Amino acid sequence: MSDYSCLVVEDSPMMRQLIVFALARVKSLTVTEADDGVVALKRLAQAKFDLIITDINMPIMDGLKLVKRIRSDETHKDVPVIVITTEGSSEDRARAMALGASAYITKPIQAPQVIATVKELLKLP
Amino acid sequence: MPPDLQKERETFVRTFLKRGVEITEELIRENQELREDLANLQNENARLRAQLASEDAIRDLLGAVETLEKERKALLSHSEEQLKRTRTTEARYEQLEQELNDMASLYVASNQLNGTLALRRVVRHIQELLEQLIGAEAFAVYVMQGDGTLMPIASQGLPDDALGPILSGQGRVGEAALTGLVYIQADTSVEGSVERPLAAIPLVTDGHVVGAIAVVQLFEQKRGWASVDEELFKLLGAQASTALIAASLYTVEDGPLAALSNIHEKLHAPRPVAAQS
Repeated sequence: MSDYSCLVVEDSPMMRQLIVFALARVKSLTVTEADDGVVALKRLAQAKFDLIITDINMPIMDGLKLVKRIRSDETHKDVPVIVITTEGSSEDRARAMALGASAYITKPIQAPQVIATVKELLKLP
Repeated sequence: MPPDLQKERETFVRTFLKRGVEITEELIRENQELREDLANLQNENARLRAQLASEDAIRDLLGAVETLEKERKALLSHSEEQLKRTRTTEARYEQLEQELNDMASLYVASNQLNGTLALRRVVRHIQELLEQLIGAEAFAVYVMQGDGTLMPIASQGLPDDALGPILSGQGRVGEAALTGLVYIQADTSVEGSVERPLAAIPLVTDGHVVGAIAVVQLFEQKRGWASVDEELFKLLGAQASTALIAASLYTVEDGPLAALSNIHEKLHAPRPVAAQS
């Protein structure tokens, strides 16, 4: 049985698959996928997650709006959120961190970086 | 007895007794001195014995210290060896992590490219691969026309009027299409253009160049090519064109079953003369 659950919100199937691949190497972690912010909100209403990883640039509802909604949600307001930024531009990153994101990862993502960030936030060895 | 003799005898006896007392006193004194000497000797003996025991203990201690020192050196050497091994293992682990990451990227890229027959989705996957796996900020994808001209079918971060068409042999992209060879510029810090991109990848199917990709600029945070980029270019060169052709052909078919309807006849049809040679 898994000890932790993680919601991955990413519209690109390629990126989503890469992130899921990376997270498969974190023991005791179950991953749920969502391809945009709205689907993510539905998943969040259905279950409690220990960690959320979200892309910033997504159609329908972007990652910044999602972070804002998560921080105002009673169940998930304290859950660590990792944002994935497409560019090295500090603007999106700063906005996400100001909205309450816990950490950020820049694309192209590297699995070791994803794993290290997830372990750090979940305080896993 | 005559008085003189009596007196002499008394004198002799007195003298004898006096001498006896003196000898006794002397003997007692000597005895006392001998006792003192004996006590001194016993003390000295005890002191020497203690000293000897202490020297033995010191010798034993020195021996133990020497043994411990040898053990310490052996442990230190073992520890250094272990540290070296740990460093080697860590380096190997990091290398394996990187290789695993690279393989995952290649698998995902291949999986996504070949996972659909929808033409727009194939193009989108090519774009995503370039943007999100390679880290290209500006790029263009070209397909070769019957006359050898490369026509742009997708791009990002570039103005439309800069895209072309590109003639075969013209610029790095045209050269890649003409020769079928991948061009990768080592220094990625320079500003690229469609004519002089940082990388030009020919799209090859069945030995024929059918298109090309120009990577004009990388994202700011990407400091140079990653180890997997060359493999991703090879994968793109080999699989993007096949995926595009399959998806393009599929657009005229009425679903997957219709696309496979004549497969038996196609498999058993005589091979064209050109293909047999």
